Amino acid sequence: MDDFQSGEETAFVVDEVTNIIKEAVEGAIGGNGYQHNKVNQWTSNVVEQCLNQLTKLGKPFKYIVTCVIMQKNGAGLHTASSCFWDNTTDGNCTVRWENKTMFCIVSVFGLAI
Amino acid sequence: MGEELTESETSVSKTRVNDILSEVAVAEKSDKTAQNTYIIRPNFSQKFRPVNVKEMIHTVLGEKLTGVVYSADETTGLTKTIADTIKSKLKDMGHERYKFIVQVVIGEQRGEGVKMGCRCFWDSDTDNYAQDIFMNESLFCVAAAYGVFKY
Repeated sequence: MDDFQSGEETAFVVDEVTNIIKEAVEGAIGGNGYQHNKVNQWTSNVVEQCLNQLTKLGKPFKYIVTCVIMQKNGAGLHTASSCFWDNTTDGNCTVRWENKTMFCIVSVFGLAI
Repeated sequence: MGEELTESETSVSKTRVNDILSEVAVAEKSDKTAQNTYIIRPNFSQKFRPVNVKEMIHTVLGEKLTGVVYSADETTGLTKTIADTIKSKLKDMGHERYKFIVQVVIGEQRGEGVKMGCRCFWDSDTDNYAQDIFMNESLFCVAAAYGVFKY
């Protein structure tokens, strides 16, 4: 590993990303109840907001952001990811958020350039 | 005009000399250690092609999920095996110098609304993704595979 890539300011910091995701979800959905016609907009808002903040960190990363919003009605949802990458530089972060009527699961993958 | 022409000609011949020099240098060092290739774009044949990958995902989902009934305990393991299978097949497809991310979501079909969205910040020249959906009476499954080129 080269020295210039191991510093804190160029690494994938999970806590930092977690906060970005939480803020994005709160900002986009907040206290709203599940509305079929709004979900499209919410998912894109969450993803867009996350990506916006991530790029503002100015780190040498490519990002993949996915967001799943599901209405709560007792049905189960499982998600898994499998990655083939450089463990020392790349990272991911998943946040599960819920309110009374829906679940929102956001995953961010950061790949060092 | 005449001057410009000769100038461009000399610059061409200079680059040729450089080419030859670098070839010689590579030939000298090739047997010692792996050299930097200076390749920043994937080979045409090794590029991540969504059509082929989608086909592969489709067959994997068909194999693993046809006739499967949702059960909360078993599905957790199932999502993991599907993600791992897709990842290992991607590795066998000859995408040299690609990093892969595979995400699998399985949900129970109870008439609930689900929306999945994704946005990527990457080099659209080299990086790409493919996804496929599988549904039966008791569950739905979305599998997405992302290929990111390592410069």
